[in-house]
Amino acid sequence: MALALPLYVSEVWLRVFEYAMVGAVAAIGLTLLSGHCGQLSLGTPFFMLVGGTAYAALAADAEAGSDLVGIGLPPVIAIVGAVVVSSLAGLAFAPVAGRVSGIYLAVATLSLVFLGLYLGQRFTEFTGGAATGRPAPPFTIFGFSLTTREPELTVLGVPFGAQERMWYLFLILVIGGIFLALGAVRSRPGRSWRAVRDNPASAAAMGVNVARARATAFAVSAGYAGLAGVMMVLWFGLLKADENEFQGSWSIAAAISLLAIVIIGGLGSVWGAVLGAAFVFGLPLALRLLVPSVPLLASITEGSGGFTPSVITAFAYGSLIVLVVIFEPGGLAAIGRRITARFGR
Amino acid sequence: MKPTSDGTTAAESTYVPELHVRNVTVRFGGLAALTDVSFTVKPGTIHALIGPNGAGKSTCFNVVSGLYPVDEGDVRFGPSDLMSTAPHQRVSLGIGRAFQNTALSGHVTVLDNVMLGRHALTRGGFLLAGLRSPRMRKEQQLHLDRVVEICEFLGLGDHLQRPVGQLSYGDQKRVDVARALATEPKLLMLDEPAAGMNDAETSVMAQLISDIRSSLGISVLLVEHDMSLVMSIADHVTVLDFGRGIADGTPSQIRTSPEVIRAYLGGGEGPAVLQEELS
Repeated sequence: MALALPLYVSEVWLRVFEYAMVGAVAAIGLTLLSGHCGQLSLGTPFFMLVGGTAYAALAADAEAGSDLVGIGLPPVIAIVGAVVVSSLAGLAFAPVAGRVSGIYLAVATLSLVFLGLYLGQRFTEFTGGAATGRPAPPFTIFGFSLTTREPELTVLGVPFGAQERMWYLFLILVIGGIFLALGAVRSRPGRSWRAVRDNPASAAAMGVNVARARATAFAVSAGYAGLAGVMMVLWFGLLKADENEFQGSWSIAAAISLLAIVIIGGLGSVWGAVLGAAFVFGLPLALRLLVPSVPLLASITEGSGGFTPSVITAFAYGSLIVLVVIFEPGGLAAIGRRITARFGR
Repeated sequence: MKPTSDGTTAAESTYVPELHVRNVTVRFGGLAALTDVSFTVKPGTIHALIGPNGAGKSTCFNVVSGLYPVDEGDVRFGPSDLMSTAPHQRVSLGIGRAFQNTALSGHVTVLDNVMLGRHALTRGGFLLAGLRSPRMRKEQQLHLDRVVEICEFLGLGDHLQRPVGQLSYGDQKRVDVARALATEPKLLMLDEPAAGMNDAETSVMAQLISDIRSSLGISVLLVEHDMSLVMSIADHVTVLDFGRGIADGTPSQIRTSPEVIRAYLGGGEGPAVLQEELS
């Protein structure tokens, strides 16, 4: 079904799903880190920025007269490079993460968002700065672009433009991310993370190198964030540093949205992270598209006192978090398990 | 249960090293939790550490498993100096422990909890696991078989797929022991294995401990309050009081030691009460 979707759904709706997939990849990394290894992080947007920037710098061609850094690597290698660079950034932060935990770690990781804001505006030769940004290098493989409409392609009478192609690229990345995460969670690394989360002393007594397990979880999570950052840049067609710390792709708001995703989805659940992302990242964009055609939504959003779709979503996921925490701390994942248990018998 | 022979352990030999604790002193701030404590766990024996509350038994345990640093003295396991061995590396030397208040993951199944004990015996990180490396899966299956065997030996065969949190307290204690055994230890350390158990459960646990020793030939170091358990299964007993070793010997020697009687009854009282508790 997902494979055939671009044949039926218009470009604007594909963009909604693609944006949700960006959130899903970042949230999978976060749910591994917070849900399985027990490390609360608000630093995901920083690693997204690192990944997005690394991709732009690695994949872009160096241009004469431009002060933008461009290495000119093939985009596939640039994506791998971006994931590696952001994982290394996560690893570099691991010594800090090994010393603090819980709310203190959350605050420590939040400082990364500010670091990202500063670095993003300071090193404009990498990020393009907050004013103009820099164009995203198109993702091409064997000369076929997956993020622009070149060369032209028509499938079953549907012209395959940029969004249709990006859909498949993102689908592959998300499925790959889910596949890796599930495999890890269900075997040795996942077991050691959960042991560290539940009782570091007993984990060590069972032979788990606690500091190393935490560092690995951080690096893996940062790698996912980096990939999400690349996707974000491709989705916007632009890499741009944030203007302030409160709004933008790499901001505190993004950090909180990602945390909301993993809580709504159910901490530690990979599929929950995907569902949560559809809700938290997808809903604002979906509402914006629905407003003109749904009278109820139009009436709420009209006039000077009207709510914007993002405000409606903020209310929706704010109340959903409260409901989840009170009634189903396992999140959407636990609700899903209950439903399958009821109908599976 | 048989000692593992399917090639899942690195150390195939049945050689069981001696544990030497020599003149160990541990201080927390100004407080000396252990002062000049020495004892030796002989290969293949069940060695009990007893003493009143606050005597330093658990501190002693945590020194051997590496959770507390030692201020003076040294701890050796056969040829290995434990002082220069990180806690997570002691498992590979053959030291496996269970905790006083079971340190298990409650939402996780029995099998998965016990599988954690195989951590040091297996290999493979995020990428290999994520890519379902065939070699890693094969290895996991091999170890899973052994873990099932260990669980069945401990009478947990019916609970393998249940979350640990749903089990009775006695069963949870056995899962903790199973997990320690899953590390294929040469020295099994049990911190109050019978705490909170009723008489029937306690005697099951006592039987289990001596079965483990006789079938695997490993040493067992045991902290226990239940005197009947200690006196019935221990080969050797070390008594601690206020962080000092006050007696060391066979159960029958301990039973008659005036030092021990004084420590347990605070001097003046007659030995008859003690005889009752110690017998």
